Amino acid sequence: MRRALFAISGLAASTTALVVLKAAPDTSTVAQQVPAPATSGAGESTTAAEPTAEPAEATATASPRPRTSRSAEPGRKTASPSAGRAGPSSDATKKPPAARPSTAAPQPAVRRVVGPVVSNEFGNVQVAISLDGARIVDAEALELPERTAQSDQRSSQVDDRYSGTAGLVVQRQSADLDTVSGATATSESYQRSLQAAIDRAR
Amino acid sequence: MSAASSIRPGLRRVEHVMGTPVSLDIADDRPATELATLADEVFAWLREVDARFSTYQPDSEVCRFDRGELLLSEASADLRRVMERCADLWDATDGFFDAYATGGLDPSGYVKGWAVQVASDRLRAAGADNHCLNAGGDVRVRGHSSTGLPWRIGVRHPWNPSAVCLVLSGTDLAVATSGVYERGHHVRDPRRGTPARGLRSVTVVGHDLGLADAYATAAVAMGVAGIGWLDRLPGYQHAVVTDDARCLHSTNLPLTD
Repeated sequence: MRRALFAISGLAASTTALVVLKAAPDTSTVAQQVPAPATSGAGESTTAAEPTAEPAEATATASPRPRTSRSAEPGRKTASPSAGRAGPSSDATKKPPAARPSTAAPQPAVRRVVGPVVSNEFGNVQVAISLDGARIVDAEALELPERTAQSDQRSSQVDDRYSGTAGLVVQRQSADLDTVSGATATSESYQRSLQAAIDRAR
Repeated sequence: MSAASSIRPGLRRVEHVMGTPVSLDIADDRPATELATLADEVFAWLREVDARFSTYQPDSEVCRFDRGELLLSEASADLRRVMERCADLWDATDGFFDAYATGGLDPSGYVKGWAVQVASDRLRAAGADNHCLNAGGDVRVRGHSSTGLPWRIGVRHPWNPSAVCLVLSGTDLAVATSGVYERGHHVRDPRRGTPARGLRSVTVVGHDLGLADAYATAAVAMGVAGIGWLDRLPGYQHAVVTDDARCLHSTNLPLTD
């Protein structure tokens, strides 16, 4: 009986310790990489979301981007530590209901954690995740590379199958030109153009 | 040759038509009055096309057709041919050449090249076998220049307006260039509705300037995928400059030094 009591109190103590220990690193491990906007209130997180209105356009135009394995990987990296932690901590909170309000009550309903800027060969990737407790309720890309993995794959595919000649574009100050082909010139840009010089020389 | 080079035969004239400078060079050694008449006819035709196919003039044939006031069966043979070609181009470019991309009918992506092509065809029919007509960068050459050599056509360097990146040479060429450097990212990807990116300049070389111009515009709209599309395009050669300053071109492009 004494042994059983000891075992129960021991279990309760360890689970409480688990909750206390896990709940804190949950925010700090992800947030420590970005010191400034880390654990902000619900009000602040909405202002932080505002700048995303601009990149959102880019995200919308290239909806398949995050799906490509390479560009999505950094995002998954930042999200996975907290996702993995979500399992044990929620398990632990279920058992001792008394322990939960003491740790969870001061926390806002949904936290927004901004991940670090991760550079890869295609450019920078930054992901923000929204957490309800330990559960990820939303993830968004704040920054995605101009040149995505997909477009690069496509261009390398093109290069592999391409039958023409490829190299860097060169500048030539060629004399003896009769005319110049170029993108539609306006009257103003024509004045500065090589074609105008050719026309004047005659 | 050295004495004659100062007094070259032929005629050169520049006029602003269709919102763009048009340069005509007729190299045939013919009486000045004949050459002047030929040039007058070329510019009169281009002005006529501008009036009939303009999307800015509400009483133009294109606008009346777009509003439904004119049936296709009542339209001129020219408009019917243009509409047919635009439909073919929509098909051939997998929808990337779209005369309805802006909402209403705007076939100008084909019309300018086509108008220059028709003008060149008429010059040849009138016996002016050696000429070069350039409408805002879309070029049709035939025969030889007044130096007696094939025409030399520079392709504008996409970052430097006073330099070229390639020089082409030929006696029967249509050369059309479409790019984003002149008016910003104005070519739109008709599928995403966003400005096209990836290709800074696309030049298409062949025999029909209307098609070459439309193909070049469609390839810009396709972005990087346009390179592979151009590579498989029968009868037309290409030169592409990407946003990251690579130049890719057909091996059989008529390049010269």
